[in-house]
Amino acid sequence: MRHYLNVWLASARYSIVRTLMFRGDFLVWSLVEFFWMSVNLLLISVIYRHTQSIAGWSQYQMMLLVGTSMLIQRFLMGFFWSSIFDMGRNVRTGNFDFFLAQPGNIMFMTTTRKLDPDGLINAVVAGGVVAYAAHQLNLHPSLLDLGMYAGLVLCGLVIHYSILILSVSAVFWLTSAQGVEGGYFTLTEFSRLPREAFKGVSNALFVWFLPVVVVSNAPARILLHGFDLGWALWLAGLAAGWFALAVFVFYRGLRRYASASS
Amino acid sequence: MIASFEKYRQAFLVGLQSNIVYRWNFVVRGFFSLFHLAVVFILWGAAFAGTEKIGGFDLRQTLTYFITLLVLQFFISAFNEDYQISEEIRNGLINQFLLKPINYFLYRFSIFVAARLVTGALILLPLLIALPFVHDSLTFPVDGWRFAVIIPALTLSALIQFSIAYCFGMLTFWFLEIQGFVILSMAIESVLGGQLFPLDLLPESVYRVAQFLPFYYQMYFPGAIITGRIDLTQALQGLLIQTGWVIALLLLNQLLWVRGLRRHTAVGG
Repeated sequence: MRHYLNVWLASARYSIVRTLMFRGDFLVWSLVEFFWMSVNLLLISVIYRHTQSIAGWSQYQMMLLVGTSMLIQRFLMGFFWSSIFDMGRNVRTGNFDFFLAQPGNIMFMTTTRKLDPDGLINAVVAGGVVAYAAHQLNLHPSLLDLGMYAGLVLCGLVIHYSILILSVSAVFWLTSAQGVEGGYFTLTEFSRLPREAFKGVSNALFVWFLPVVVVSNAPARILLHGFDLGWALWLAGLAAGWFALAVFVFYRGLRRYASASS
Repeated sequence: MIASFEKYRQAFLVGLQSNIVYRWNFVVRGFFSLFHLAVVFILWGAAFAGTEKIGGFDLRQTLTYFITLLVLQFFISAFNEDYQISEEIRNGLINQFLLKPINYFLYRFSIFVAARLVTGALILLPLLIALPFVHDSLTFPVDGWRFAVIIPALTLSALIQFSIAYCFGMLTFWFLEIQGFVILSMAIESVLGGQLFPLDLLPESVYRVAQFLPFYYQMYFPGAIITGRIDLTQALQGLLIQTGWVIALLLLNQLLWVRGLRRHTAVGG
């Protein structure tokens, strides 16, 4: 465990030094993420110009939900995105050999190599959106609620990580995961919608079968309505299940990997 | 003239072949687009629950707008052309074009047309599967003029899409990494191109400004013609402005190419 912590810290140090070398790049990518978050908030404000509620959620409740969804996604972007995105390319080009030769768990080495400070900076912005919405709603969560909120955001991060791994692992079968990675972003769009908006087939598919709705709704509900054991257990169980599935698919895919280099 | 055309026909055929190699990627991408459509249906369905019309249009008209844009995207959008051009410049592959009697813009455009033919054909597969589910949500106006106006509008939209991607690709002559700019521009395009919401839902003053920007003519304009969100007068005015933007962007492309080549250094044999 300590060995992996040291490996991760070394990778994080390298990423931060690299970011300091390319400060312009850091600024551009921070702006990119900031713009995309603004786009999501703009969508809400435009719709609420013409309607009072979406599935019973007011504008600031929706903002809190979207902020929570963005918070989870920013953590994913900050801690894992670049490494997992590179995985798709590396499998195609054969550069994935490099990770197979490293002394450690291949999935850990592959998915934690790079850290993106721009994603983490914007996690602060996303947290600010959540705080602003909570303030507008006059919410006063207890320390326990805030702790549970953080715990469920972590579960959400595990689920997002697993979905991304599952999407990109397609590269082992398809040769190129270009476009497939975009599937992750499509699926996470559901996490910006309130659970009450889903009915019939969409309810069965996106609330019960895929964890894309509960991932943000569960933590947001804690701030809005207080701690709910049912939602918390549901999300924690899903996080464990989806992580196990991601590990299984990743290693099944790895069996198909045939180096393309030399 | 015919010999010149033959060069680009060959580039087009190569483009067809190389895109067909990744056919499953496009099909998968198409299926994921259906998920995006599901988000649109759920979100706007919930928004319309308390009101009959939003921005003067009912739920069916709004959903038709989004379905139309989704399909158009596969026929006229630039996918990763900017990235491909950037890679060719960065890796020095562009050097071969400097020594041959071939216009790089036309070469890339031939490949772009081929790619859109492939992606356009492949989106039909997931679309056919989705049709029974979305059929009841579709409602199109049947004015004859829309059929006449839509062909030039779509052609010009494709040219704008490609030209903007080409411009971003050209930036590689000045910047090592352009992906940040590209994704930043995607955020702007998704808002001002009407992919996030119909632009007519914006405040009147903002909408008026958007009409004079090139992004409006990338997706919203042809989508609005097809789905009846704009009338004949607006469509004709739009075509004029759209033509102006195509000319301006083509000139900018040429300028960036000439200026960029001055900075370019070809190394190796």
